Amino acid sequence: MPENRYTVTVAKDLEDLIPVFIRNRQKEVESLRAALNAADFEQLRLLGHRMKGVGSSYGFMHVSAIGKQIEEGARSADRSTIEGCIADYATYLRKITIVYE
Amino acid sequence: MSELAVPHRSGASQEHVNFRVLVVDDDPDMAGFLAHILKDEGLRAETLSDGETALVNILASPPDLILLDVMMPGLDGFELCSTLKQDDATALIPVVLITSLDDHESRVRGIAAGADDFLTKPVKREELLARVRTLRRLHETRRELESRHLAAEIQRKEAIRGAFARYVSPRLADRIIHELGEGGGPFKGQARRSEVVAMFVDLRGFTRLTELSDVGAVVEMLNEYFSVLTDAAYQHDGTIFNMAGDSLLIGFNVPFPQQDAAVQAYRAAIDMVDQFMPVSAHWKRRFGLDTGIGIGICKGDAIFGNIGSPHYMNFTIIGNPVNTAARLVQMAAAGEVLVCNAVYDAIRELVPAGAVRPRGEVSLRGKSEPVSVFNVSAGG
Repeated sequence: MPENRYTVTVAKDLEDLIPVFIRNRQKEVESLRAALNAADFEQLRLLGHRMKGVGSSYGFMHVSAIGKQIEEGARSADRSTIEGCIADYATYLRKITIVYE
Repeated sequence: MSELAVPHRSGASQEHVNFRVLVVDDDPDMAGFLAHILKDEGLRAETLSDGETALVNILASPPDLILLDVMMPGLDGFELCSTLKQDDATALIPVVLITSLDDHESRVRGIAAGADDFLTKPVKREELLARVRTLRRLHETRRELESRHLAAEIQRKEAIRGAFARYVSPRLADRIIHELGEGGGPFKGQARRSEVVAMFVDLRGFTRLTELSDVGAVVEMLNEYFSVLTDAAYQHDGTIFNMAGDSLLIGFNVPFPQQDAAVQAYRAAIDMVDQFMPVSAHWKRRFGLDTGIGIGICKGDAIFGNIGSPHYMNFTIIGNPVNTAARLVQMAAAGEVLVCNAVYDAIRELVPAGAVRPRGEVSLRGKSEPVSVFNVSAGG
């Protein structure tokens, strides 16, 4: 399988944790949308901060990268950047392929 | 709401499983991830999602290591860490704060809160394990030192207890050990002056007893005699200062104050006389010996402490009440308990009517005033 941003390699021993991890990320998209609709930038900042920390820990670098953008966007109340990030995040989660090694 | 990732149980080696790590993180995925890695390492890992619950849990059942996220709603990681480090019961539990890589302010706050180490997000498995292994080694070394120190302290106190059990009652031995604190030795300070009640006990018929040809029997009889005396002395919290031949010197109100020292001495004396009677009767039947105990008791100021040379030292009492008690015991016939007037004044109400007989006055060498003497066992 070709390497691209939608292909994630995860340590084999984490396989059992991944289904829950992905479901929590999908719920996270909904939480982000709800916070954006409410213009709750503090909640957006916290959600972005959490994504930044947990994504790379599991091997999902792109989750961390999006989280960082959302955290920074929330600090400056940059609605359009956050909107783009959430759309990107939703697409990423839909298209993602996980390889266990 | 996020689901809690449940880490699978790996084939953890039992030798490590006693090391318990508590992971506190409001992100269930991060908590589950950390717990998973720790369990893979063979450690016991538990997860909690908020600071308040963690504090209650830690106080009730302290873990061996805490991994603590700094950003949590309610009691955050800094506050929880600071609370734990200020409590003697939890201050030594290593705490690793989990912060973001670029969050220098959190590191500074973490140091101020007393954190032992930091882990940065995203968490690298190797880094986590390296830090946990290091803290675990330190923790185990500290525990080993603590248990060695504790064992040495117990051994020291047991040695002291063993030594003191020969002189004082088990209750007094416990009190001496309790008052030792850590590292000190008993009665290392200067000798002290205090009011004491001194009691001498002698065996009447001792000379004939020692003339028995069966040495083993003599020793056995003396042991029986001294057992009666020491049991009664300890029963009333007396301290045995000297044992020579058939003579025993016992102190009351020393080394620790007793409110009713004269009363305790009197009761010990009456118990000795009573409890020796069947022993004496047995010896009479077996060996034809006439025996009995004579007792002298006096009260007054005396000096007590370690007295002697660096080569030979006794924990003893010296002074007028000791000299007077020694003189009284010389005067006491078998079954008699002779007391000086100071002791009699203190026990007057306890002596049964008809049990007291004045024995006149006795003059002591170097003392201008004679001492009034009373036999308080006359009715017994």
